[in-house]
Amino acid sequence: MIKRNYLEDLNKSNKPFIIYKSDNGFDLYTNFSKKIILTNKNIEKFINNSNKLKFKNKETDLFIGFFGYEILNNLIDVKIKKQKGLKFPKGIFYKPETKIKFSNKLSYNSLESIKSNKVFSINLNKTSYKKIFNKFKKKIKTGETYQIKICTKYKNTSQIDALDFFCRLVKSNMAPEAFMIKDKNYSIISCSPENLINKKINYITTKPIAGTLKKSKKLNKVKALAFFKKNIKETKEHNMIVDMERSDLSKICKPGTVKILKKKTVEEYKDLYHYVSLIGGKLKDKVSSLDIIKAMMPGGSVIGCPKISTLKLLNNQEKENRNIYTGSFGYIKFNGDMRFNIIIRSILNYQNQSEISVASGVVIDSNAKNEFNENYIKAKALMDLYK
Amino acid sequence: MIYIIDHKDSFTHNVVHQFSNFDDVECDNFNKIDQKKLTKAEVIVFSPGPGSPKNYPISSSIYKKFKGKKKIIGICLGFQQILYCEKGKIIEQKKIYHGYQSQIKVISDNSLFKKNRKFNVGRYHSLKLKEPFTAKNFEITMRCVISNVAMAIENNKEKVYGFQFHPESFLTENGNLLIKKILSA
Repeated sequence: MIKRNYLEDLNKSNKPFIIYKSDNGFDLYTNFSKKIILTNKNIEKFINNSNKLKFKNKETDLFIGFFGYEILNNLIDVKIKKQKGLKFPKGIFYKPETKIKFSNKLSYNSLESIKSNKVFSINLNKTSYKKIFNKFKKKIKTGETYQIKICTKYKNTSQIDALDFFCRLVKSNMAPEAFMIKDKNYSIISCSPENLINKKINYITTKPIAGTLKKSKKLNKVKALAFFKKNIKETKEHNMIVDMERSDLSKICKPGTVKILKKKTVEEYKDLYHYVSLIGGKLKDKVSSLDIIKAMMPGGSVIGCPKISTLKLLNNQEKENRNIYTGSFGYIKFNGDMRFNIIIRSILNYQNQSEISVASGVVIDSNAKNEFNENYIKAKALMDLYK
Repeated sequence: MIYIIDHKDSFTHNVVHQFSNFDDVECDNFNKIDQKKLTKAEVIVFSPGPGSPKNYPISSSIYKKFKGKKKIIGICLGFQQILYCEKGKIIEQKKIYHGYQSQIKVISDNSLFKKNRKFNVGRYHSLKLKEPFTAKNFEITMRCVISNVAMAIENNKEKVYGFQFHPESFLTENGNLLIKKILSA
C-alpha cells in the first residue's frame, strides 16, 4: 500500500521518473541528478564516458534512457535527409539517485480524469502503403534488400496520464521489455517484447523476434510452434534475422563463441505468440560500449536485411521522422554492463501530440493488404488505451 | 592471411568468423581496400552483399588483377562477381530465395567434393547465373536438387571457387568442412 501511494504521489509531484520491467516485477528510477540530451556531437563522448565513472556497486550507478532512430543511423554513418515531424530530442539519458522495486501488479488509480482523444489519423493510407510496398518488392527482386519494414504512424492531439496508460497496458500486454518515461514535456509508454542487448561482464546476448501469431482458443504453444515451422514465409524471415544477428554479434565477439542458444522457440504473451531465438557470444578483449552499440543498433529485426542498404532505402522513402520508433531504450551501468531493448509497440506523447508507429515486413511473398492490416492490429492495443 | 572484401552485407561477419577457424582474417569494406593487406593476403574472399556485381567495379578489378595469382573465393554476391568477371550473365530469377534452406547435390567428377553427395544449405539470393555458361577452367560443380540452379563453381587450376549459397549460415550443414577443404586445396 505504501508503494501504491508512492506512485500516486510521485505522479502528482510532476517529478520525472522511469519504470522498466525487471525479471520479477518493475524497477522505478527517479530523483535524477543529471539529464543528458543527446546530439550527434555529444553521443560518442557520452557512451565512452558512461562506464568510466566509478562503479560503487550501487543500483543507481547507471545511465538510463533512450536513443532515437535518427541518432543511431548517424552513429553508423547513415545519413537521413531533413524530415517532417515533432521536434523531439534525438536521445535522452538520466542519472537516477533512487531506485525502487515493484511487483508485477502495478496498481494505480488515475486521480484526475484526463480525457484523452480517441480519434487517430494515419500518415499512410492503404493506397499509398501499397505503392511503397510494390516499390520495395521490386528492390527485393533486384537484390538491393532481402527484407524491409514499412512504418506507418497513427497520430492525435491528446493529453494523457502516462502512468495510468502504462499500468493498464502492462495489465493487458505484459512484455519483458516494457518501460515508461515521464518527464515534464513528454512521456513514452511501451510494451516492447524485444531485448536487443543484454551484456554482463564479457558475455552478450540478443533475442530477436521474427514471427507473430494472434492467439485463438484452438491454439496452444505446441500448435503455435507447428504453425511457425510449417509457415515458409515466417521461417524464412526468422532465418534471415538469426543470421543477421549472428553477424552483428560476430563484429564484437571472439571467433567461435557466437552460438544460437535457443533456436526458433515460441514465447507466449497475453494476446499472441512470438517466434523467438536467443543468440550469444563472448566479447573480444578490447571492445568498448560504443563498439557494441554501433554493432547492434538500430536493431536489425525491425529494419530488415541487409541493414545498411535497407536503412538507406527506408530513409529515402520516409518523409516523417521516426523519433523513438525502432530506437533503443535501456541502461549502461558504470561497470559497462548494459541492457537495451528495441522501441516498438510504443506511444510517444510530446507537447500533447501522441504518435504510435508500427511496421511490418515486406519479403518477396508478403501481401500488401495483410501487412497493412497487421500494422493496424499492432497499433490497436495502444490506441485502445485512449478513452 | 585471408582478406575478406565486405560488400556491406549483414552476413559478412559470419564469414569472418568461419574463416577465422583456419587462418588470420582481415576484413575491409570494398571501398576502403587496404593495398598492403591485399598484397599480403594468400586468399581473397568476396563477401555476400546487396545488389548486383555490376555495382561493384572495384571488386571486379581486384578479381582480374589477382586471378591465378592468389586463391579467390566468392560467396553469394561474391560468387556472382566471379561469374560476371568471367563474362557470365547475372539475371533475376522468378522464385526468390531469402532465408531458404535447399538441398543441393555435387554433380561433377572434378569437384573437390564427392560426386552425388547431397546436403542442405542456406540461401539468400535474388539473382542467379544465366545458363549455359562456359569459361576456361571453370566448372559448375553443385546444383540445387529441385530448381537445378548453379550453386558452386570450381576452377581447380587457377584456384577460384564460388558458392551461390552461404556456407556460413546456420542453415548450412557442414559449412566449416566445405571451407576447410577449399582452403587446403
